[in-house]
Amino acid sequence: MELRGVTIENTFAEAFPMRAARIIITARDLYWARFAAVELTGFATSVIGCKCEAAIEHELPPEETPDERPGMSVLLFAMDTESLGKRLIERIGQTVLTCPTTSCFDGLPDADRRVAVGSALRVFGDGFQGSKVIGGERYWRIPVMDGEFLVQESFGAVKGIGGGNFIILGTDLDATLAAAAAAASAIGGSRGVILPFPGGVARSGSKIGSLRYKGVPASTNDAFCPTLQPLTESVLPPDVSSVLELVLDGLDEASIRRAMRAGIEAACRPGIRTITAGNFGGKLGPHHFHLHEIMSGPPTPEGRP
Amino acid sequence: MSDVVTLTLRAPLTERIDADGLKPDRLASLSRAEMSAIELWHGRSRVPLGDLFDIDGERSSRVRIVGDVRLLDGIGAGMTAGEMIIDGDAGTHVGAEMSGGCIEVLGSAGDDAGLGMAGGSIVIDGQAGDRVAAGLPGAARGMTGGEVIVTGSVGAEAGARMRRGLLFIGGDTGEQVGRDLIAGTIIVRGRSGPEPAIRSKRGTLVAIGGIDVPPTYRYACTYEPPYVRLALVHVRRKYHMDFTRELSSGRYRRFCGDASTIGKGEILEWTST
Repeated sequence: MELRGVTIENTFAEAFPMRAARIIITARDLYWARFAAVELTGFATSVIGCKCEAAIEHELPPEETPDERPGMSVLLFAMDTESLGKRLIERIGQTVLTCPTTSCFDGLPDADRRVAVGSALRVFGDGFQGSKVIGGERYWRIPVMDGEFLVQESFGAVKGIGGGNFIILGTDLDATLAAAAAAASAIGGSRGVILPFPGGVARSGSKIGSLRYKGVPASTNDAFCPTLQPLTESVLPPDVSSVLELVLDGLDEASIRRAMRAGIEAACRPGIRTITAGNFGGKLGPHHFHLHEIMSGPPTPEGRP
Repeated sequence: MSDVVTLTLRAPLTERIDADGLKPDRLASLSRAEMSAIELWHGRSRVPLGDLFDIDGERSSRVRIVGDVRLLDGIGAGMTAGEMIIDGDAGTHVGAEMSGGCIEVLGSAGDDAGLGMAGGSIVIDGQAGDRVAAGLPGAARGMTGGEVIVTGSVGAEAGARMRRGLLFIGGDTGEQVGRDLIAGTIIVRGRSGPEPAIRSKRGTLVAIGGIDVPPTYRYACTYEPPYVRLALVHVRRKYHMDFTRELSSGRYRRFCGDASTIGKGEILEWTST
């Protein structure tokens, strides 16, 4: 399959189940809400080394937040519910509680499984904290030096999908970088999907384990490294000198498909030879995103995961 | 099965009738004949529901009462689910001890509305009498959950001994609003009457339209409580209340008390500056 002269390989991205939470951060203005969201999602690119994957989902206007203040929506993924709860407590406690004027709410109120967050953070109030129930939900009021930090007692934990991806093969770094940035921009703000890597783009595609070192969980994907073409079993066409990958985590398959299609369409630019995807022959996870199917089928309807 | 059961009063009531048991979750499984045979207490005698009301519909958890039922007491008392709409004024004890469902009074309600309620919601689109959302006589706790919204003014001892839940009052209150508050939240948009929140332990009284803060409360600071903002937004969105965003985004003077108890309660007085 070709799109604007770019070959779309007949392959699939292989993704795996994760647990996900949506965090709504509000503040007096977007300036502070954004700071808290950026801190919350820092050092959260890959579950391999960061224990979770997180990124800003989109901005929220006041009419869409629980307290009618400007807000940010963040998605955070971990491998299981227990780990998700720990990461939420650590990160909300260290980055949102600390940020002036913020409040923190659950963005998945319909989730059946809940993890305790506010009820764990409350102890920072040293006995001066209090709780209130509004609309059937309990919130904790923790006294801080600018007033109070308001945080919801529990957050929803739903099944999510980690590791959706596509890989852009270009003739040079400039073209590949521009295509990757365009793809990330096209996906940015999509509901139910995040791109956890810097700017939405990863240059360090990895393979499972290591050819040389025992105990290393992941190592460089040498088959996609242009500098190693004569030294390894490279899969790159001869004129490809730069490769970048977009990794997507989502709340459901439909969100990831929609985002992959938008991203691949945006990435098909001059200087790009091929779009492919990373998989492990179906051994890693049950979610398979076939590129031809995604690009040739009707657009996935806009949902609200 | 009908969408709604409508009870239309046949003739004006001349004496008080105890409607305890007239609740949607009970009527939801009854035929018209079975509903008609329900007996209500009328002094020391009983009167069938069918003698008082024309009954339209059957087997529905939505019930509408049409007519002047100011002398009908205990409508929706003890209900656990369903929806009750009273198309006018209601008697005393509306929704007393209810634990679920919702009641909407399209008029005013008598004393003891929401007395000892544990869950659900009551919306009174008018005035309410004394002891709204307070406790049963002799009970240690008043309201322990749910939400009561009164668009107008209320009588004395509103929210007395309240343990949990939300009481929003659109108008003024009588004396001793929030007396012996254990916890929970009372928001008064009008003026709070004399001796507000006395002997409160942990409760919150939000006073928007003026208050004489008791001397047993100590001023802490003037700030923007995020919880009050959240509560006001919730009330406005869920109950379609019409008040300006100035309230929810406003600053409040915080007073801690009551010093005659453990003193973890608060009065939050809205300030326009």
